[in-house]
Amino acid sequence: MGFDEEDLRKEILSHLEMATTDRMADGVDPERARLDSLRDFGNLTLTTEAARDVWTPWWREAVQDRASDVRYAIRGLAKNPTFSLTIIAVLALGIGVNAAIFTVIKAFALTPLSGVERATQLAVVYLETSGGRELRVSYPDYQYLRDHDRAFSGLFGSSLTTASVGRGRDARQISLELVTGNYFQTLNVHAASGRTILPSDEVAPGRHPVIVLSDGFWRRNFGADTAIVGTTVEVNNYPLTVVGVADPAFHGTIVGYDVEAFVPVMMMSQLGLEGGVTRSPGTTVLSDRRAAVVFPHGFLQPGTTIASASAQTNALWAVLAQQRSVDDTTLHFKVVPFSQSPTGGQATMYPGLLLFAAMGVMILLIACSNITGLVLVRALSRRGEIAIRLALGASRTRIVRLLIVENIVLAIPATLLGVLLALRGIPLLVNWVDSVTAPQRMFFNSQPDRLLIWFAVAIACATALVVGLLPAIRSSRVDLVSVMNQDASPRGATRGRMRAALVVVQVAVSLLLLVGGGLVGRSVDRARHTDPGFDQSHVIAVALDLKHNGYDEGRGRTFYRRLLDDARTDVGIESASLAQYVPLGFLETRAQRVSLEGYQPRRDEEMAFMSNTISSDYFRTLRIDIVAGRDFSNRDDERAVPVAIVNRRLAEKYWSGPAGAIGKRIRIGNADWRTVVGVAADVKYARINEPRRPYFYLPLAQVYRPVMILHARGAAPVDRLLEQARVRIATIDPDLPIVSARPLAERTVFAILIFDFVATMLFAFGLAGMALSAMGVYGLVSYIVRQSTHEIGIRMALGASGFSIIQGFLARGIRLGAIGAALGVTAAIALTRFLGSLLFGVSPTDAASFGRALAFVLAGVIVATFIPAWRASRTNPIAALRHQ
Amino acid sequence: MLILRTLQWGPQHGYAIGQAIRAQSSDVLQVEAGSLYPALQRLAKKGWVTAKWGQTEANQRAKFYRLTPEGKQQLLREASRWMELVQAIGRVMTPWLAPDSEKS
Repeated sequence: MGFDEEDLRKEILSHLEMATTDRMADGVDPERARLDSLRDFGNLTLTTEAARDVWTPWWREAVQDRASDVRYAIRGLAKNPTFSLTIIAVLALGIGVNAAIFTVIKAFALTPLSGVERATQLAVVYLETSGGRELRVSYPDYQYLRDHDRAFSGLFGSSLTTASVGRGRDARQISLELVTGNYFQTLNVHAASGRTILPSDEVAPGRHPVIVLSDGFWRRNFGADTAIVGTTVEVNNYPLTVVGVADPAFHGTIVGYDVEAFVPVMMMSQLGLEGGVTRSPGTTVLSDRRAAVVFPHGFLQPGTTIASASAQTNALWAVLAQQRSVDDTTLHFKVVPFSQSPTGGQATMYPGLLLFAAMGVMILLIACSNITGLVLVRALSRRGEIAIRLALGASRTRIVRLLIVENIVLAIPATLLGVLLALRGIPLLVNWVDSVTAPQRMFFNSQPDRLLIWFAVAIACATALVVGLLPAIRSSRVDLVSVMNQDASPRGATRGRMRAALVVVQVAVSLLLLVGGGLVGRSVDRARHTDPGFDQSHVIAVALDLKHNGYDEGRGRTFYRRLLDDARTDVGIESASLAQYVPLGFLETRAQRVSLEGYQPRRDEEMAFMSNTISSDYFRTLRIDIVAGRDFSNRDDERAVPVAIVNRRLAEKYWSGPAGAIGKRIRIGNADWRTVVGVAADVKYARINEPRRPYFYLPLAQVYRPVMILHARGAAPVDRLLEQARVRIATIDPDLPIVSARPLAERTVFAILIFDFVATMLFAFGLAGMALSAMGVYGLVSYIVRQSTHEIGIRMALGASGFSIIQGFLARGIRLGAIGAALGVTAAIALTRFLGSLLFGVSPTDAASFGRALAFVLAGVIVATFIPAWRASRTNPIAALRHQ
Repeated sequence: MLILRTLQWGPQHGYAIGQAIRAQSSDVLQVEAGSLYPALQRLAKKGWVTAKWGQTEANQRAKFYRLTPEGKQQLLREASRWMELVQAIGRVMTPWLAPDSEKS
């Protein structure tokens, strides 16, 4: 059974035949009878169609409708390519920007660890001091937690460190994780070849000389050698047997770092990785309960919350605290979700990411209101068409559906483009970050995946709906009579108000973006022109690591002396010096507790300052003024009186200024008192936007450090200086690895970079928003002009000048612009406070930034208003009247 | 329902159905061909009638519709419902004609 059109046709023919025969029988002439029958029958086609409809299942009808809607939509949009392409471009931009931002956020928040399932559900345990410092947990404490903490289904320990692989000049610095035996099992990460580190690798200190390589490290450094398992590699000059290569997707558990190898925590001492860990006498690093070694990580038991895990873990602390010789009651355990881990990049990146996300949403908001505007304008030009469709009996839902289909037809290519944009953009961004942070390898889990695609599709659909539904409903409510009568200005007051609201929103949001961009831009400008307190041009920084290369303190001292002597004799070298840290190094270095002679700190005052260990000539090399006293000299060695140099801020804050500080004494921790022999000018120690802060310097000759950076100044190009330094070091010790050798300016660039990046992004977003909202305003005015062509015609026919017409439109545009601007300024004043740490030397309500943004936005509004208004003023009155 | 009724007395073709309804209703009900044929298709789809080509008395080819057993059932159902409706309307419109028993 089914519908047979041919059959029906025959049936109808027979019907007509019979009717004709009947009529002829009544005496009507044949021709007449035939026509009468035909007329009597009615509409043949309609009958056939109605009969066919009986057989068509409902869904096929719906599909056919949709298909014809889509076909119709494409035809209509192709006829109006400017409109379509504009919308696609705007939408693609909005989606692309959001998809890119989403990818970055995903890398931190949603899937922070590549190759680990449910990584967001990891929780991290650390010890918190009363001053809020975050400490690692000692190995015995970790063991106790692992065996007794019921809040976690498994607790592994890990600790990020750097190590050199290989020997001498071929050595490479890598990021390495010291892990406990259950690390891979808890994370459910498998080995691609060989095995992972197992609980059997955590039995006795020093007895497990094994290493697991990351897939990337294996490919880069060992040419993906399939026979790698079983071979030996030297890490910090200690031979370890490669037992496996980890899953290719796995990059360790430190967000932002590409961890390249995993070694059992039991090998800590053998690899010389105890540096910086304070230790009680008579213990080893793994048996000391006060040695901070690992951050325990684990998945919470089902049904356990962070809060209850924290309570359970701290209950165990009560037991652990009793087993200590020293009173550590000020410490307590903290359990935090992985996203707030004290290790890795999450914590530092979050504020910036939120800012980006906010910007992304704003861009999308502007894009949406913009497209809504365009769609409305287009809907106006289609009022006639829609009215005719309604008059022909199309239902309103059908028309709304058609208009939404049109939006979806536009959204699909826009989504594709947007995703493409994001996909092309993200690797560029990642590579750039990578190149900046070299030689440190970065890894972000920013692989585009299904999640990203879903996200893009979701925003696209949401946009299409939001943007399309409103105008669609509005335009389907066309007043038939007025359109058919070609009424001159049927503008409903509400529609005008909605359009106006759209413009106001766009102006306000783009102003907000521009103000943000302007503020950060000015901050960058300030930062670039701020004197960091030292002169980094013509200075090179060559980092050396004597720790793992067979140097004890005596040999190290000899090496340093020789290096400085040799370097200073080099042609073109003005001065050379050694220092533990570079200034403006972006990262905060370790702060040490100090006591100051003659200063009694308040009860809750934390007297811990950052410091640097330097050789003589440091201040001359970096052109830092010594404001009182003297520089360290070669006579300040182990046999001489312990000395120190403080900075001006410290001298002013705690003593009576630079002159008064000379001769005062300072004590670091519980060490000997040191006499202050000099006061140096203040420098930006970590970031360019840091406030002036107390700082002190210790002489290398009295405080030996195995990892130092050679600073050398010379008039020659930095490349030549670098080459000279390499040669010097190689002649003294050809086996010594050079950790890094770069101009100092390249090492400090990171301190400004973050600013620069955010400012550029904010500014670009501001401009994009600006361009979009200018288009929006243009759209509004052309809309009004279109609506009132007739009116303009009459007014001009009555003698109104073109000027007065322009004036009228401009006034309206400017009024809307002003309202938007006022809203934008209010919002900006409320919100720029949150830029806080990104601003430098600029107040969050900086008048210049606000002024500039305001001028920019208003200029945009005026231009966008003027053009259509001017076109309107050129309307030929006769044509306008006849047109209607 | 009317179509089903006309088919009750034997298979008939579309034209004759239209004529029959018209004649039996004394020209009050004129079933237009435009409604008749879709209606026939609907009935066929529901399986209440079957169709077969045949010869008319005037020796013309025509498609004859025949009531199926289900169609007969349907007709009975509809007829009784119709009667109820007519009676109900009748009681409302002309209460004086209604049987006494139904009055109280």
